Amino acid sequence: MDQSMKRTLQRLIRRIPFQLLKTTLSKWAHILEEDLLLLDFTQPKCLFTENLLSLCEGKGTTVKHITELEMIYIIENPNQVMWRAFQLLDAREDAPSIELTQFKEQFKAHLTELNSHVSIKIKKHTDEAVWIRIAWGDNFTKPNHLKPTYAVHHLQTPYVFVTGLTVKHKPLLNQALVLTTRYGSIKDASLSGRNLVAIRDLLMRQYQQVFPTKHPKPLQEKNHVPTNPNIEKEQIENTENRLQMACEAFGDGTLPQLQKAVYQLETKFRDNSNRTLTGSDEPFRGVVEFTSTNLLESLRHAVSSGIASTPVTPLLSSITQKGRNYFVVTDKGV
Amino acid sequence: MLEMKANHLAVKQQEVWQVKVGREEQLNATLQALIIKRDQLKAELKANTSLQNLRTLLDKTNAPCERDVEDMENGSENSQTLLLMARHTQLKDLLHAHHLIGGYNVLLTKGKGVCVSIATAYEGLYLETYNLEINLQCKIRISRHNIPPFIPLETMVKQGNMQTDIRAFLDTLSQYLNAYVGRRQQLHLVKEIHNSVQVMESNALCTILVLMFTVPGEKARAALCTLEYNDHTQCLPTRVLIESEDTALASSPQWKKDQALLLETPVHRALVTLKKKGSIA
Repeated sequence: MDQSMKRTLQRLIRRIPFQLLKTTLSKWAHILEEDLLLLDFTQPKCLFTENLLSLCEGKGTTVKHITELEMIYIIENPNQVMWRAFQLLDAREDAPSIELTQFKEQFKAHLTELNSHVSIKIKKHTDEAVWIRIAWGDNFTKPNHLKPTYAVHHLQTPYVFVTGLTVKHKPLLNQALVLTTRYGSIKDASLSGRNLVAIRDLLMRQYQQVFPTKHPKPLQEKNHVPTNPNIEKEQIENTENRLQMACEAFGDGTLPQLQKAVYQLETKFRDNSNRTLTGSDEPFRGVVEFTSTNLLESLRHAVSSGIASTPVTPLLSSITQKGRNYFVVTDKGV
Repeated sequence: MLEMKANHLAVKQQEVWQVKVGREEQLNATLQALIIKRDQLKAELKANTSLQNLRTLLDKTNAPCERDVEDMENGSENSQTLLLMARHTQLKDLLHAHHLIGGYNVLLTKGKGVCVSIATAYEGLYLETYNLEINLQCKIRISRHNIPPFIPLETMVKQGNMQTDIRAFLDTLSQYLNAYVGRRQQLHLVKEIHNSVQVMESNALCTILVLMFTVPGEKARAALCTLEYNDHTQCLPTRVLIESEDTALASSPQWKKDQALLLETPVHRALVTLKKKGSIA
């Protein structure tokens, strides 16, 4: 095990938080159960790392094993990195019939054609997602395993979620994906976040959407604050209307845990009390950012309790309707 | 004193007379109001009966000519409106009937559009309802839907020419959705009922299924069965491939028959038959 491999492994172990270390290592096929028992998890991390390194050296660990461990760690804990969503456009005839082995072979072939110094690893997870790990290199260096790119794709859907992609390698990855999945082009879906499950559920509409029905069952507000029953009786029609509109805009039940929505404003300033800013021709550039532990839940509550006015403004409902959380607002619209 | 009494009586008489007049006016007013209401109700009744008659006429002939309508109405100006109203009720009943037999339900939404709900079912079990909110303003387009992303909705919209023939588009979509739901339900039943069969691979659209059987014998052998559903509007596979390390097994006539069976019967039922026959454990 040479120096660079040692360094990679060291960096990886240091990256994994201590609580997750035991579970991640137990899933690693390279370390056997007995070896795991030998390791002392109560030691301070640096000592533990040293022990683990010497153990791995004794077992003849290769780069392949190290990348496997990293992949296990990322697949189990995707919330440790920041994901961006991409959407594939213009499906060709045979796009819906791509299957796993075909995808694997073709992706590897296409990417190595574009850049032969890459190390690719593809794995299929239980929930139909294909995980791809790419370590990039070039004519002068070997693939850099310290800064890999991960891409997650659900076959037969037009979405790809990527983390760790640099500007230099973006066109290469995009080209390989477009060719392999038989689509015409790929674009940025303006959706990013740490919670991979949340952005995936939002884009693939895997939360409970509400549509107008003939026999509407009255929706129940989850945390009903008890108030004066007389007020409730008087306000019942309004409350139900607001709740229905809130649920139609954002969904019912548990919503994807989106954490941030960013609106970049490029509109003209329009407040008559401030003459200097109102008169200028240049658009007033500002950024409005909404953050929350569960943004969609908070927005839905804001609408159903009357804080935000109904009908729901398309600026807010676009988050769920278009599946984005980055918007540029100009005078003409979103 | 008598004069006083006479005056007193005159005043009283005046009062009584005024009360009587007041009461008469009141009663007259009530009478008028009731007469107006009666006329209104009579007109409504007349309109309803003529509407019903028109409706029975429509149901029978489906295209009444103006003369028949005029005959029924005795030349009333409201014949056109009544005809439209009769058509409207006929359409509403037709939609309701369509919804009852499991077709799609169409609702008017507030913003000048419709919401179409497509119900899906397989083998008598109602599964999900998919909804499409369609905007009818200048050009027909879908504003919101909860159809899963692996169903090629955009391709269907382009190919089906939604602008001119929305019925065909909805029919195709309903076929795709029902077939997808049917295949998914078959996979679910296979996993639930047949524990000895292992599902090696499946995909989101349920168009590829790879199962591993154990073939009973002196030594239990494994056979890999690949079912390809290339026609996405069908619940039955288009190709069945059986592979095994024991090559003689795969080409035996018994397995050829089993292959044919898997092509014709839904997989969860075919497996029951295969188990009974003894082809698989």
